Amino acid sequence: MPIPLDTTGPTMKDFWSPVMCTWCEGCGDYGIWTAVKQALVELKIAPWQTLLCYDVGCHGNGSDKIAGYRFHGLHGRVIPFAAGAKVANPTLPVLAFGGDGATFSEGVGHVVHAVRSHYPIVFVLHNNGNYGLTTGQASALTPQNQPMNSAPNGMPEATINSMDFIFSLEPTFVARGFSGDIKHMTYILKEAIRHRGFAFVDMLQACPTYNKFATHKMLLEKCYRVEDEKYDPSDIVKARMLAIDTEKRIATGVLFKREDIPNFNERLVPRQGRKTRPIDEVEKFDVSGLMEELR
Amino acid sequence: MTNRISLKIVGASGQGIDSMGEVVAKSLKRSGYCVFGYREYPSLIKGGHASYQLDVSNEYIGSTETKVNLVLALNHHGIVNNLKDLKSGGILIHSTAGWKMDKASQELIVKESLKIICLPIEEILKKLKAKSILANVIQTSFVWAILGQSQEMLTDVVCARFAKKKDLLELNRKCIEEGFSLKQQHAELSIPMAKPDPKRWKDQLLITGSKAMGLGAVAAGMRVYIGYPMTPSSPLLTYIAAIQNKTGVAVKQAEDEITAAQMASGAMLAGTRAMTATSGGGFDLMGETVSLNALIENPAVFVLAQRPGPATGLPTWTAQADLLMAVGMAHGEFPRSVIAVSESSDAFHLMDDAFNIAEEYQIPVIVMTDKQIAEALYTQEPYDMKSIEIRRGKLVTDPDELAKLKSTDRYDPNAKDGISARWLPGSKAATFCSQGDEHNAEGSDNESSANAIAQMEKRMRKGDALLRSLPEPELWIVENGKRKMVTDDPDIDVLLIGWGSTKPVVLDVLKNQKPETRNQKLAYLHFSHLWPLKTARFETLAKKAKKIIAVEGNFQGQLAMLLRQQTSIEIKDKILKYDGRPFFVDELQLRIQSCIDDKKPVTRNQ
Repeated sequence: MPIPLDTTGPTMKDFWSPVMCTWCEGCGDYGIWTAVKQALVELKIAPWQTLLCYDVGCHGNGSDKIAGYRFHGLHGRVIPFAAGAKVANPTLPVLAFGGDGATFSEGVGHVVHAVRSHYPIVFVLHNNGNYGLTTGQASALTPQNQPMNSAPNGMPEATINSMDFIFSLEPTFVARGFSGDIKHMTYILKEAIRHRGFAFVDMLQACPTYNKFATHKMLLEKCYRVEDEKYDPSDIVKARMLAIDTEKRIATGVLFKREDIPNFNERLVPRQGRKTRPIDEVEKFDVSGLMEELR
Repeated sequence: MTNRISLKIVGASGQGIDSMGEVVAKSLKRSGYCVFGYREYPSLIKGGHASYQLDVSNEYIGSTETKVNLVLALNHHGIVNNLKDLKSGGILIHSTAGWKMDKASQELIVKESLKIICLPIEEILKKLKAKSILANVIQTSFVWAILGQSQEMLTDVVCARFAKKKDLLELNRKCIEEGFSLKQQHAELSIPMAKPDPKRWKDQLLITGSKAMGLGAVAAGMRVYIGYPMTPSSPLLTYIAAIQNKTGVAVKQAEDEITAAQMASGAMLAGTRAMTATSGGGFDLMGETVSLNALIENPAVFVLAQRPGPATGLPTWTAQADLLMAVGMAHGEFPRSVIAVSESSDAFHLMDDAFNIAEEYQIPVIVMTDKQIAEALYTQEPYDMKSIEIRRGKLVTDPDELAKLKSTDRYDPNAKDGISARWLPGSKAATFCSQGDEHNAEGSDNESSANAIAQMEKRMRKGDALLRSLPEPELWIVENGKRKMVTDDPDIDVLLIGWGSTKPVVLDVLKNQKPETRNQKLAYLHFSHLWPLKTARFETLAKKAKKIIAVEGNFQGQLAMLLRQQTSIEIKDKILKYDGRPFFVDELQLRIQSCIDDKKPVTRNQ
């Protein structure tokens, strides 16, 4: 007798889009794109049950290469848009994606305040160390002195140590993945989606066209999974040290998490104890009582 | 002629001017008067010279006079700065013992028969062992007695304010008594007031334009508010935050205006009604988000509270100078709605319109207000909840209807009037991308010529449909001493044109029209919807009128520019003001009359 197939959740096919991918051959976006679909499938989240928000950049060109409710917005501004959607509909899984160019230049203020606000959304950093879509200018994460399209002599500015910076904000979830390890990224994304508050996920990815200093080969050689080495992700000091030490090896996996801090929506006093969401409440609101106070 | 009087409390910011003004306003309203409160203050927290003026009548008024019947000076700067604000026979009250008037002031006092009263406040405070802030209560009580009003009424209002601080109650009561007994020593002081009309005014609201807007937005189903402080939009944020535990509205103070605009837009995309507000500088930052909402066809409501620019300009003063910005801001061509509120009534009633237009046409809506409206205190008929309508346009929520949708319905270029179906993330239906790149019907990138044409035309057709649906501007006349909105287009001699906070002051001027000029038929055409701009009625009236005068709080005559752009009719006569002050009723009356009398076109006469 054949064993009945599990048809209760969505499949990879449900996330299929008829639009052909336009990324360069060997681009890390393919791996992240696949892992996102895989994570949603494994969590049984169907395309209609989620909102995927894309910033502007190469990753953003993937906004029509996947099924689901999607949003493709302005350069650097994806986090507040996604957070606003989540405030309005707290039961909707919301994932936001942004590149290192937008996120650590125009959008850096939003990162700071998203961690501090603790919006319950996932932010996936497509980190390829440069502005790919605009043809290879340096980002704030490009190593100093690296010659780039906008700086043939190398960038004079110092590089932001993104992990040190993120950890300084006292986040509640920090992970790092490598675009060449789809299975591991899937695991990380699932953990991030399940997280109570703001989940920061740094995906190191190859940019075969413009990034010749942190190549797929180099990442493949240096990245390892912390889960393989009996790692405890509850110690923020150790996690921070591990995250910033990328000299010889690069730690990937869930580097730090804690689930005891209420998220932004939970902290909004007037929303506490309500069964409805702001999206369910768009109706006439009687202000007669409020008018009484003005007589 | 409207029978009106006015009082002005002046002193340093932080001396309690506003709360004194509010106490007097509330007491006057309860005694049967219509009150209009006007604040002037510099951009700092303590110190500086600030004022709170109350204009009072038994009929409706929505404006301020330049000259007042009484000045209450809380410090000596008030004596120096505001003596000249008194009408002939006016009263100045102060408590700076031993103050010597300079020669010019002495001459003014004689010439205008001004009465100067110095109250022995320090002695009374010592006697009562009261803190200096209670000087305010003694002074208020003294003024109240001059107005010939009842001691009980003031006691009730003051005590209600201190209901929670029992120990202060008795002291406040004593201070009121002291004020009244001081008045007995000055029998000669009185300000004759019109006969009160308690039936009409007693139960009305005293409300600022900011609170009116906040209530209007809440009544219209706004459930998320994202703000960033900037005068004069801050009182709206403060009010919506203050009432959040009663309304359940999710309130967020964002890290900047871009965030505020983005979060509010995200909340709207998710399917609630959300709003943000700022002033000109903040709105500059929101421009890119306005444009984004246009392309992804996301409903969005932005409140633009104007103050004089450019740059930081005059932060705590008023202007109507951002009309062209609202109409023209942000890159690309797209339909938008620009609405302007004018006072406490439409500040409430235009808010559901704003949300309905945003959702029905899936466009950004900009609701304009200004510092004058935001912070003025109006006497306002309680709002009628029955007048609130919630229309969500082509939003699909029914499960059967959702099941029938195709991804390509979202941005279907063939949709009637360009308005396609909208459904929300989380709905069990075909999905789409709210795409900020030019896109095809399902929101996928498409850079083809045919698609760019089809989608641009789809969006712009929404603007045409909106224009058809909007009402023509309101026409107001005064008949038998009463203001009246008319639906026909009568023969008129002088057509006044305006928008925003111009309306209540122009209407007060019309009511004040002097008998000798009553052979001239004046009318006021008021535009609430500034874009798209409905012009048929203006064109009809422009043909009938012998003279058209634009009255605007800006340098260029921005509405007149828009009307010329849309109709080729040039309005030569313009009464413009750009010093940060609103039009005052007596000032505007003179300017309109001299504009009518003068054969030459007038612009910018200060």
